[in-house]
Amino acid sequence: MIQGLAIGVLSAGLLLGAWTGIQASRRRATTDAQMAGAIVLEAALLVQTVIALVRLIGGAPLAESATFVAYSVGILLPLPLGFYLALIERTRWGSLSLCFTAVVVAVMTLRLMQLWQAGGG
Amino acid sequence: MADRPAAGNGPPHPTADGPADVSLPTEPRVSDVGPGGGRHVPDPADDEPPPAGPRRLLIAFYAVFALAATARGIVQIGTKFDEAPLAYLLSLFSGIVYLAATVGLVTDRRWSRPLAWGAIGTEMVGVVTIGIASLVDSTAFPHDTVWSRFGSGYGYVPVILPVLGLMWLWQTRGAARAVPADR
Repeated sequence: MIQGLAIGVLSAGLLLGAWTGIQASRRRATTDAQMAGAIVLEAALLVQTVIALVRLIGGAPLAESATFVAYSVGILLPLPLGFYLALIERTRWGSLSLCFTAVVVAVMTLRLMQLWQAGGG
Repeated sequence: MADRPAAGNGPPHPTADGPADVSLPTEPRVSDVGPGGGRHVPDPADDEPPPAGPRRLLIAFYAVFALAATARGIVQIGTKFDEAPLAYLLSLFSGIVYLAATVGLVTDRRWSRPLAWGAIGTEMVGVVTIGIASLVDSTAFPHDTVWSRFGSGYGYVPVILPVLGLMWLWQTRGAARAVPADR
């Protein structure tokens, strides 16, 4: 993993969560900008996962590699789900769905960083 | 998308809280929304099914927890089953329960709602039982599961989620009976 990218992803997840959360509190559906934000975040996650797995295969020391791999791959799943739900649900509930999955991504990133640091990487 | 904040298409949020909105005058613009305005203003008189929105949010929650608990259970059982077999089997079990609830919420079959009731009910009983058990006898659950200490490791969402799920099922029970033709 790369510390800078992980912190960026973490902040972006929280930011998107706050942004869509505010949108939901105003009883609005997600905007195009928010949907684009979700796509950008997902792209960053994909890059992060590839880097992490490549470094893992390259022999980076890791305490719980199975958990780390599960998180690395699993972190790619919530955001597409939230994106899809926000797409078909053009109400505040769609905004809340995207909000929740964005926060989940942020939390999972935090957990990934802990796992990586526990290995001394 | 169809989100034009101050475009002047009637009151933006006729469903806003407060009793003041109850006596809304009839919408003058309803008739000319037709061609361009894809988004139609929610109208209490509309003969629409109950909103699908809360259900979709529940789907988001349950799908994420199904993934989290199932993956956790599989990893635990696959790598260190001997350390705490009961707790790890419980992780997997909770994952399956979340999975069943997700399926019940996503699908629209005759068995969907019974499945959702069963799964979310099991979840409610499970999270309370395991929550209490893990507090009373922490040695029986040395390794956390999703339901340990009422789901404190997951921001207590595991104890709130079944309440919301059961509330939603209860509130929509009448509407479900109205559309059995679709199965």
